[in-house]
Amino acid sequence: MADSVVMGSGSFNSGSRSGSSKTSTSPTENYQLARRRTLQVVVSSLLTECGFESAEKVAVETLTEMMQSYITEVGRCAKATCEHTARSTPTLSDVVVTLVEMGFNVDTLPVYAKRSQRMVITAPPVTNAPVVPKALMAGQKRTHPSYIPGHFPEFPDPHTYIKTPTFREPVSDYQVVREKAASQRRDVERALTRFMAKTGETQSLFKDDISAFPLISAKPSAIPYLSALLPSELELQSLEETDSSEQDDQTDTENNPSHIIQDDQSADKENVVLPPGGVVPTGKANEENMIDNPYLRPVKKPKVRRKK
Amino acid sequence: MLSYKQNPDPSGLHSRRCMNRKKDKGFEICINNINFQRKSVIGYVELTIFPTVMNLNRIKLNSKQCRIYRVRVNDLEAPFIYNDPTLEVCHHESKQRNLNYFSSAYTAAVSAVDPDAGNGELSIKVPSELWKQGDEMKVMKVYIEFSLDQPKGGLHFVVPDVDGSMAERAAHVFSFGNQNSTRFWFPCVDSYSELCTWKLEFTVDASMVAVSCGDLVETVYTHDMRKKTFHYMLPIPTAAPNISLAVGPFEILVDPYMHEVTHFCLPQLLPLLKQTMSYLHEIFEFYEEILTCRYPYSCFKTVFVDEAYVQVSSYASMSIFSTNLLHSGMIIDQTPVTRRCLAQALAQQFFGCFISRMSWSDEWVLKGISGYIYGLYLKKTFGVNEYRHWIKEELDKIVEYELKMGGVLLHPTFSGGKEKDNPTPHLHFSIRHPHTLSWEYYKMFQCKAHLVMRLIENRISMEFMLQVFNKLLSLASTASSQKYQSHMWSQMLVSTSGFLKSISNVSGKDIGPLIKQWVDQSGVVKFFGSFAFNRKRNVLELEIRQDYTSSGTQKYVGPIKVTVQELDGSFNHTLQIEENSLKHDIPCHSKSRRNKKKKIPLMNGEEVDMDLSAMDADSPLLWIRIDPDMSILRKVEFEQADFMWQYQLRFERDVVAQEEAISALEIFPTPASRLALTDILEQDQCFYKVRIQACFCLAKIANSMMSTWTGPPAMKSLFTRMFCCKSCPNIVKTNNFINFQSYFLQKTMPVAMALLRDVQNLCPKEVLNFILDLIKYNDNRKNKFSDNYYRAELIDALTNSLTPAISINNEVRTVDNLNTDVRLILEEITRFLNMEKLLPSYRNTITVSCLRAIRMLQKNGHIPSDPSLFKSYAQYGHFVDVRIAALEAVIDYTRVDRSSSELQWLLDLVQNDPVHYIRHEILSMLAKNPPFTKAADSLLCNEALVDQLWKLMNSGTCHDWRLRCDAVNLYYTLFGLTRPSCLPLPELGLVLNLKEKKAVLNPTIKSEQGPGGPEVTTTMCTVIFFDFCQFPTQEEEDIDMDTVHDSQAFIYHHLNMLERPSTPGKEPSSVEQAMLSMPGTPMPTLSKESTSSKHGDHHHHHHHHEHKKKKKKHKHKHKHKHKHESKDKDRDSHAFSNSPASGRSIRSPSLSD
Repeated sequence: MADSVVMGSGSFNSGSRSGSSKTSTSPTENYQLARRRTLQVVVSSLLTECGFESAEKVAVETLTEMMQSYITEVGRCAKATCEHTARSTPTLSDVVVTLVEMGFNVDTLPVYAKRSQRMVITAPPVTNAPVVPKALMAGQKRTHPSYIPGHFPEFPDPHTYIKTPTFREPVSDYQVVREKAASQRRDVERALTRFMAKTGETQSLFKDDISAFPLISAKPSAIPYLSALLPSELELQSLEETDSSEQDDQTDTENNPSHIIQDDQSADKENVVLPPGGVVPTGKANEENMIDNPYLRPVKKPKVRRKK
Repeated sequence: MLSYKQNPDPSGLHSRRCMNRKKDKGFEICINNINFQRKSVIGYVELTIFPTVMNLNRIKLNSKQCRIYRVRVNDLEAPFIYNDPTLEVCHHESKQRNLNYFSSAYTAAVSAVDPDAGNGELSIKVPSELWKQGDEMKVMKVYIEFSLDQPKGGLHFVVPDVDGSMAERAAHVFSFGNQNSTRFWFPCVDSYSELCTWKLEFTVDASMVAVSCGDLVETVYTHDMRKKTFHYMLPIPTAAPNISLAVGPFEILVDPYMHEVTHFCLPQLLPLLKQTMSYLHEIFEFYEEILTCRYPYSCFKTVFVDEAYVQVSSYASMSIFSTNLLHSGMIIDQTPVTRRCLAQALAQQFFGCFISRMSWSDEWVLKGISGYIYGLYLKKTFGVNEYRHWIKEELDKIVEYELKMGGVLLHPTFSGGKEKDNPTPHLHFSIRHPHTLSWEYYKMFQCKAHLVMRLIENRISMEFMLQVFNKLLSLASTASSQKYQSHMWSQMLVSTSGFLKSISNVSGKDIGPLIKQWVDQSGVVKFFGSFAFNRKRNVLELEIRQDYTSSGTQKYVGPIKVTVQELDGSFNHTLQIEENSLKHDIPCHSKSRRNKKKKIPLMNGEEVDMDLSAMDADSPLLWIRIDPDMSILRKVEFEQADFMWQYQLRFERDVVAQEEAISALEIFPTPASRLALTDILEQDQCFYKVRIQACFCLAKIANSMMSTWTGPPAMKSLFTRMFCCKSCPNIVKTNNFINFQSYFLQKTMPVAMALLRDVQNLCPKEVLNFILDLIKYNDNRKNKFSDNYYRAELIDALTNSLTPAISINNEVRTVDNLNTDVRLILEEITRFLNMEKLLPSYRNTITVSCLRAIRMLQKNGHIPSDPSLFKSYAQYGHFVDVRIAALEAVIDYTRVDRSSSELQWLLDLVQNDPVHYIRHEILSMLAKNPPFTKAADSLLCNEALVDQLWKLMNSGTCHDWRLRCDAVNLYYTLFGLTRPSCLPLPELGLVLNLKEKKAVLNPTIKSEQGPGGPEVTTTMCTVIFFDFCQFPTQEEEDIDMDTVHDSQAFIYHHLNMLERPSTPGKEPSSVEQAMLSMPGTPMPTLSKESTSSKHGDHHHHHHHHEHKKKKKKHKHKHKHKHKHESKDKDRDSHAFSNSPASGRSIRSPSLSD
C-alpha cells in the first residue's frame, strides 16, 4: 500500500519533470535520454535476474518509470531531510532515514547488494551535462552594504523590488474618454457574462451552435419581487456618489414646513373622527414618539380568566 | 358583538320571495387558526338576524368552498343544505357545447345564489322551536363553524419555498375577488346592499400581523404566548363584499403626516414603502377638500401583497395593493402609475366602500363618481393637459370597444326578470350579474361611467356636482352613526334614481335626456364631418352625418359645439343636431386675408403671428373642431385640408386638438406636415405626450415620403441636437433625467426612429448604428434616476428595427447565415439579458424587452422559432412582468406555429398556476391573440379542445368569477356562439318544428323509418315529458323549489338529464328506448342532414317551454335573438358541410313568436 502511494507520487514528479524538460534544449534531452536508457537496462537486467526471458516494451517502460520515480523520491526526501538539519549536502544517514520512511527495510540492502547473480551494468555514456540558461538580468544588481556578510545571497534584480515610475499624459479628449469608458464597460460586461454563461447552465437560441449566443439560464427564485423591486447595491452606491447632499437639502426644505402643518391637521382629524370612547389623541403629535397608532401599541397579555 | 339591524328592503328585488327574507344584522367573524403550511383556515361566524317577515323558517346565506361543521340558530343545532349550481354550470354529461346555452345556464346559476334576490348556496332550516319566536320578529343568532382547506379563491396564500419560519419566508395570505367574493372565505350575505356592523377577530402567529377592516381595538396574546389575536371593530355599517383580510409578517409604517393611516409591506421593502407613501396625504387632502367631507372611516390601512389579484382593491377602511407598485425614489416611470393607483383606491373608499350600492344596476354611479373624482385629482396633480389627454384616451378606448363589441350599458333594467328582455343581445354573456361579465367589458363599463359623470358635470357645473357628492356623503355619514332600527342605513346605499334625484334637487336642472342617452342606452355616436366655404355668402357650410346603424352606435339628437378658428379669432357655435338636418350654415366673422400683418387671436386670448402662406387665399378659415370639449361620447371623422390640420397642430393650444391633428396628418405625407411635426417636437413648451405622438407620426410620414425625403433620417438631427454632446455629435450625453419631459422624449425618439424604412423596406443602416451607439455610450453613473426604462426602450427600438429575414427555401436558421446587423442586435440582447441576471433592473424591464425582442427575431425568421426559452421564463418564480412577457411570446408562437402542445401547456397553466393574475392574463391574451378563430379552419380546433375549454368554463373555474368569464370569452373567440364546427353531429334524430308546433323526425331518418315516423315522434314527447314529471324522486331532494332561481337550476338540470342517452337505471318505456336508439343508426348523408338536423335542443327547449307554461313563472332567455337570425343566414352560405345543428336551435327564431 505504501509502495503504491510512493510510486504514484513519484511518477507524478517525474512526469512534471519530464514535462518541464521538454522545453529545454536538445543537449539536455540527450543527457536525460542517456540516463533513462541506463535505467532501462537496469530494469531489464533485474528482470532477467528474476527469471524473465522477455518483457513487453510497455511493461518495461512502466517499471522504468516506477524505478525512476522511486529513485527521484529517495533523492527528494533525502534532500529534504538534510535541509531539515540545516545542511546542504545529503549524507548516507539522510538516505537511510528516507528509505526507512518510505517503508524500505534497510537491513536487507547489504545482503542484496552482495548477491551472487547480480549483473554489472556499464556506466551511462558520458554526455554533456545540460547547460542551465542564464536568468534574465535587468539593471545593475546592488552590492551588499558593508554590514552584510559577503556569503549572503545577492540582491535580486532591481526591477523586482524597486518602483519604476511610468507616466503617460492622461487622455483628456472627451470623445476618447467616453469611447474608452464605453468599450471598457462593454468588455467587462461581456467578459463577466461570458464567464457566468460558461460556468453555469445556459440556454441557446440556436440548435446548431449552442455556444453561439449563450444565455444564462433563467432560474426561478422563491421571492422574485425582492430582486425586481429593490435597487441593487450598485445603484444605491452610485446614487450616494451623485450629489446626495444637494438632494437631501431639497427634500428637507420642502418637507419641513408642510410636515408641521400636516401634523396639526391630522391631530385635528383624530379629534373629530375618533368616537368619544375611542383613543384620545395625545395632544399635538409633533413629537415622533407620541404617535398613537394601534399597530404600535404593545400586545396585551392574555387575561387570567381565560385560563381553563 | 354588535347587533343592530336593518331595514326595509332597500333594493326592491327582495319582494319577490318573501319566504326567505332574512335581515342581517351585526356580524361577527372569528378566524382562530391560519395554517400557512397546510394553507387552511378555521373559524366561525355569528350573525344576528332581525326577521322582517313572519314565519322565517329558512335562512339563505352565501358560502363557497367553506367546509361547514355545524350551524346553530340561537344555540339550537340547525340542519342545513348546501347547493351551489355555479360549481358545475351545465351537467357534465351534457353534450351541449354552444355558448348561448352555457351563458343562459350560467346566468341562471348565478341568479340562483344571488343574495340580492334572497338566494344563497347555504340554506339553513330554522329549528321549529324558533318558529314561534320568528313570528314575533325576535332576533336570531346564527352561528356557523367552518374551515377552508387550500382555498382556490377568496383567500390567496403566498408561501415562498425557502427555509425558515413562515415569517422569515415572507409567507402571507390575503383576501381577493371580483365583486361579491367574500362568500369564498366565510359564510355571509354576500351582497353590496346588505349592510351590517362587524366585529372581526383573527388569531395569527405572533410574528404575523392581521390587517382587516375597521379599528384595531386590541391585540392580545393567546395563552401560550405563541399567537396573537387581533380584535377589530367596524361600527360603520358595511356590506360583506367590502370586508377583507391580510395576514403576514408585514413591516409597519405609520404615515408620518397622518397617524391614523398605517401602511404595511412585506419584509425588506420598508424603504420603498416610505418613498411610495410619501405623497398619500396629498391625495387625502385633495378628496377631503373637494368633497368637503372627512374621510369616513377612523383609520385607513394600505397593504402591499405579492401575487395580487388586481393592482388595487378597496375595502372598508383598507386597500390591498400589488407589491409591485412600490418603487424607490430613483424610478421615474412607476411613480405616476403608483400615484394613480393610490388615488383610485382612495376615491373608492368614499364611493364604493363607505357608500355602497342598492343593486348591481346602480354600480355605474359608484364607479362613475369614484372615477370622476379620481379624474379631478389627476387634473390637479398632473395638470390640465394630462387630464384632457386622459379623457381623450378613455373616450377613444370606450368608442373603440363599443364599435367593435357592441354597446356598453351602464344602467340595465331587467323588467320582471324576463330573459326575453335582455338589454344587450349583442353580447355573448349576460350583464345581469357582475359575475357573468367579461372583464374587459367591466373595465370599459367603469371607463364609460366616469365619462358620463363628466358629461353630467358639463351639464350642471362642477360646483353642483360636488354638492351632490357631498350630500350623498353627509346623508350616509349621518345614517352610519344611527342604530339599525332607525331604518336609516339605506341612505348609505346609492341608487340610480336617488342619485338623479339629488342632482335635480341640487342643480334644479333636468338631465333626463342625458341619462336616457348615455346611461339607459348603450352605444356611442359616430360623426362624419366635412365642410365647404361659400365665399359669396361668407358662410361655412358644415355637414355632419351620423352612422347609427352599425353595432355599438346610437343616434344623437341635441346640441353640438363647433369651434371655428378664423383669421379674426376663434368662435364657438352651438348647432342642433336634428333628425334630418345634415347641413349647418355658420356665418364667418372675418373677410379673407384683409389684414395680413395682424396677429391672430386664439381661443385662449393669446395673439400669435402665423405664416399664412399655406392657406387658401379665399377662405378665412384656419381650422374647425367638432365637439372640442368631448361632451358627447363620440368618434368624429372630420375632413379638412392638410394645411388646416397643420395650423391646428401648431397653434391650437388644446392638447386634444393637437393629438387629433397629429393622427389626421398621418395621411398627408408632405414636407409641410414634416415641418409642422418637427416644430412641435422641438417645442419644449408643448405637452410631452403630444411630442411623443408626433415622433411616431413623423416616422410614418417619413416612410410614406421615402423617395422624396431629403436630409438625415427623421428625428436624428433633432435627437443629436437635444441629447448628444456638442463636441462629438455621435456620442450621447451622460444621462441626466432631471427634466422628465425630455426624459420621456429621449426614451421615445429612438423607438420611433427604428420604425423608419428605406427603399428596400429595411431599417436604414444609419439608424440602426445610431441606436447601437446610444446603447454603447449610455452612461448612467452621474444620474440620480435609474435608466432601466430607458435601456428597455432602446431594446424596444432594436426590436422595432427588425424586418423579415430573406429566406431561401425555408432553410433552417443557423448561426452561420445570420445577417450581420441581426448579429449585432442579438449580441446586445444577449449581453443585456445576461447582465440582468447579475444586476436585475427595476421590475425586470430589460428582461421583458429582451424577451419581446427575441420573439420578434424568431417571428421574422432570423433565428429558429422555439418556445422553450419563453417557457422557462414563464415559470412560477419569475417576476410577474417577465412571466407575462414570456407567456405573450408563447401565445404568439402558438398562433404562428399552430402548436397544439404549446396550447395545451398554456391551458394547463391556466388550471394549475398558483398566481390568479397569470391565469387571467393567459386567457385574456389568448383571446386577444387567438390561435385560431371561428372564421378560419385550424388543425388545433378539435373536439378535445372544445371539451377541455368547456370543462374549464363549466366547472374548472368555479373558484374565480373573473377567470370563468375569461374562459367564456376565449371560447367565444375560438368557436363563436354556436356549436363549434369541429364537433361531430349530435346524435339525436328528432327535430321540433316549432312553427308548425309539432315534432318531426329528421327527414333523413324518417325516410328509413317509413310511414310510422310521425306517430312515434309524438309519443316520444309524451314519454319524456312523463319522465320529466317524476322529478323529486331520485337525486333532486335537495333542490329547493321555493325560489324561482332554484327551480331554474332544476330545470336546467333536468334538461341535461334529458340529454343523456337513456339511463339504464330508470324504467324506460319501450317507446322511449326505441326512440333513443334510433339516432344510433348511422346518418345517411351529411349534406341532407344539415338542412334539418335541429333536433336535440329544440326538443329540450320545447319541454322547457311547456314546463314554464305550467309554472307560469319562468321565461326562457332570448338574447341574441335578432342577431342570431342573421348569423344563421351567414352560416347557411358557407361551411355547412359538417355544420352543427344544435347551436342554432335554442335561439330558433320561431320560438320567439
